[in-house]
Amino acid sequence: MEEKGKKILVVDDEEAIRLLYQQELIEEGYEVFLAANALEALEIVDKEPIDLVILDIKMPGMNGIEAMQKMVGKKSKIPIIINSAYPHFKDSFLSWVADDYVVKSSNLQELKAKIKQQLNKACE
Amino acid sequence: MEKLLTLIMAGGRGERLYPLTKEKAKPAVTFGGIYKIIDFTLSNCLHSGIRRIYLLTQYSNASLDRHIRLSWNIFNRELDEFIDNIPPQKMNVDWWYRGTADSIYQNINILERERPQLVLILSGDHIYKMDYRKMLEFHRLQQGELTVACVEIQREKARQMGVLEINEEFRIVGFQEKPASPCSVPWDHSKSLVSMGVYVFKTECLVREVIDDAKRDSEHDFGKNIIPRMIKKRRVFAYHFRNNGGKESSYWRDVGSLDSYYEANMELLKENPEFNLYDLDWPVRTYQEQAPPAKIVLSGKNKELGRGVIINSLVSNGCLILGGKINRSILSPLVRVEKNAQVENSIIMRGVTIGEYARIRNAIIDEEVQIPARYTIGYNLEEDRKKFTVTESGVVVVPQGVILD
Repeated sequence: MEEKGKKILVVDDEEAIRLLYQQELIEEGYEVFLAANALEALEIVDKEPIDLVILDIKMPGMNGIEAMQKMVGKKSKIPIIINSAYPHFKDSFLSWVADDYVVKSSNLQELKAKIKQQLNKACE
Repeated sequence: MEKLLTLIMAGGRGERLYPLTKEKAKPAVTFGGIYKIIDFTLSNCLHSGIRRIYLLTQYSNASLDRHIRLSWNIFNRELDEFIDNIPPQKMNVDWWYRGTADSIYQNINILERERPQLVLILSGDHIYKMDYRKMLEFHRLQQGELTVACVEIQREKARQMGVLEINEEFRIVGFQEKPASPCSVPWDHSKSLVSMGVYVFKTECLVREVIDDAKRDSEHDFGKNIIPRMIKKRRVFAYHFRNNGGKESSYWRDVGSLDSYYEANMELLKENPEFNLYDLDWPVRTYQEQAPPAKIVLSGKNKELGRGVIINSLVSNGCLILGGKINRSILSPLVRVEKNAQVENSIIMRGVTIGEYARIRNAIIDEEVQIPARYTIGYNLEEDRKKFTVTESGVVVVPQGVILD
């Protein structure tokens, strides 16, 4: 299955993280969109045929959980991977709406593997 | 004891009960003269010690909300007891409840806040007496993830229901929704086990399943979608609701259609009905407005003399039977039956007046309808069909707000 060119939206309030993910994911051959907060993210999801969303939870304003519920409410089939520095959000029922949950790490191997996995699943 | 939360599904449109649901939600439709359909499920909760209840409502929910406030304002919030009415909040979606499973999905935040270990899911439109504690105990013993309450009925009647196939441990191995050929129980080929729409879920399992379902093309229905998928991969058991010598009988009726509603009402009129309203150990609670006692009198003189006679009927407070004859009927409060009128095999709702010499049979007359003198209903179905709804079994339903002359 060809993942190259798939459109990935990275939602994170920290610019350093956005830029790091952008660089790493472009190297993997994805097209990358960036959003600094939930409202920007929802706008992009409305306009672009996004294939996968990587979503931070703790953000100023609307948090990632709420943004995710709204995304599922609009286009129920975009895979969403929560990417938070906090593992404990995993216990929240609300976070179970996500397709996967990856705790933030400087090494993006796990995240990249999960992205591949979700994109493959979406194609089945 | 695990922390339990109870959710009552009361959000259906009630199309099969139309026109009784023209101005009210199905669970707020009157049953047995003075009750509302929801009172039976809530009374079960009351007698089962269940005090934390959310009612998931949707269409015409004002009628239901008002009834709950009037009659069920008996729980104490300070003791964490409540009955809360939850219409769709549409916080994160643009649609109403798309099905029973979706109504849970849209309220996951409630489960997150309450964090119960078990969730009891009930329907707001069934007539039965059930102590849910016995089912919860069964669920615990089986260490199930889902337990579905079921009742044994004649196989040919199971075609309109969700039919369970079980193994010897009562584990559900098959689930057919409205099957043409329902499977029978292992011990009797003429009987089938059907789902009562009463479920006990382990909360985590419920949340996982409704989320998974929300992302699928599905009717978002427990019977059609969630249970058939779950029996393949999870521990799903059937709780056999039956006469076990206590207060419960295996009586259970879904009153979601006009014919089943009519029939269940008429069953109350038997000398020894299976559902006993007069059991003071299991009273069905409701709201009763202030009204004078029912009064039955002779009226008129000589040839015009009307004898007020009532046989095999339920007559509520405030009824005035002024020389009319009532046979095998249910009269809600404040019904007035004039001289020499006849009412037979009928359900007459609150505030109806039946004029002199009018003849009504096999009918449901909804609230406040004025039947003119000498009017007939139920004697010529061809004529009745031109004006009213007539059910498959020939019951004429006269809707609220109709003007007859």
